[in-house]
Amino acid sequence: MANVIGSSIVIDGEITGDEDLVIQGTVKGKITLKESLYVEESGEVEADIETKNVEVSGSVTGNIRASDKVELKQEGRMVGDIKAPRILIADGATFKGNVDMDR
Amino acid sequence: MADTNTIIGDTILVQGNLQGDEDLTVQGRIEGTVNLSKTLIIEQNGIVKADVEISNAVISGVMVGNLTASDSVEITETGRMLGDIRSPRIMIVEGALFKGNVDMGDLEMPRPESTSSSAASDRRPAYTPRPLSRPEPKATPPSPSRPVARPAPAPAPAPAPMRVEKKVVSAEKPRPAKKKVVVKKRRH
Repeated sequence: MANVIGSSIVIDGEITGDEDLVIQGTVKGKITLKESLYVEESGEVEADIETKNVEVSGSVTGNIRASDKVELKQEGRMVGDIKAPRILIADGATFKGNVDMDR
Repeated sequence: MADTNTIIGDTILVQGNLQGDEDLTVQGRIEGTVNLSKTLIIEQNGIVKADVEISNAVISGVMVGNLTASDSVEITETGRMLGDIRSPRIMIVEGALFKGNVDMGDLEMPRPESTSSSAASDRRPAYTPRPLSRPEPKATPPSPSRPVARPAPAPAPAPAPMRVEKKVVSAEKPRPAKKKVVVKKRRH
């Protein structure tokens, strides 16, 4: 993967881009991507997210708007609203917020 | 996982503050501030417009802002930097573009490299034709008659007047030196 925010990295601000992004560290602010966002187990995101796909194995606080799919994995923790045509919440995931699957 | 370096890919733009304890490779763009305890690598297509505090920096791309490095800063031949550098070790390779101040901190420490670097900087006034513009040929009237014998006439005069000369050169025209570098770069 081209883009990795490593586990000791803290970003306070805005990230935009056209490619996949893997977050192992901490991001606060806003994330806007044209492709997929992967929040790994060590990843902590306190941000509003606008992407195509989101895969959450870590922790996300904020609202997600995805044009394709949001997946909360078993280890994933999420607080906030999700708006996406496809939303998957795995057994074991914790989630608090609103879900909107309208296209 | 913890060993992986952080990579900001070429379409990624980060605006804001970035801090951490690992190496950071920038192929994309960062605007804001960067605080790292390790190495910042700005690759050829990377752009950093930020105030940066860091241990080491290797600049092959574009860096705009002030850079404080606790260990070293290197501007490679494709690197372009605008801003001030504070670091005990600074390397600027031929082909690199740099505009700003350099502060290497305490110069009291004995440094064997400083002789070679000062020799390198002595060469610069030698091949810029500055002496022609000077109206007073006081110190060296006979020198034009035998220039071939010694290719490096710089070491001959005492060090004090040399420094004065250097200052005059840089104060009068800092640009010709830069233009030269630009031309070199375009040849590639």
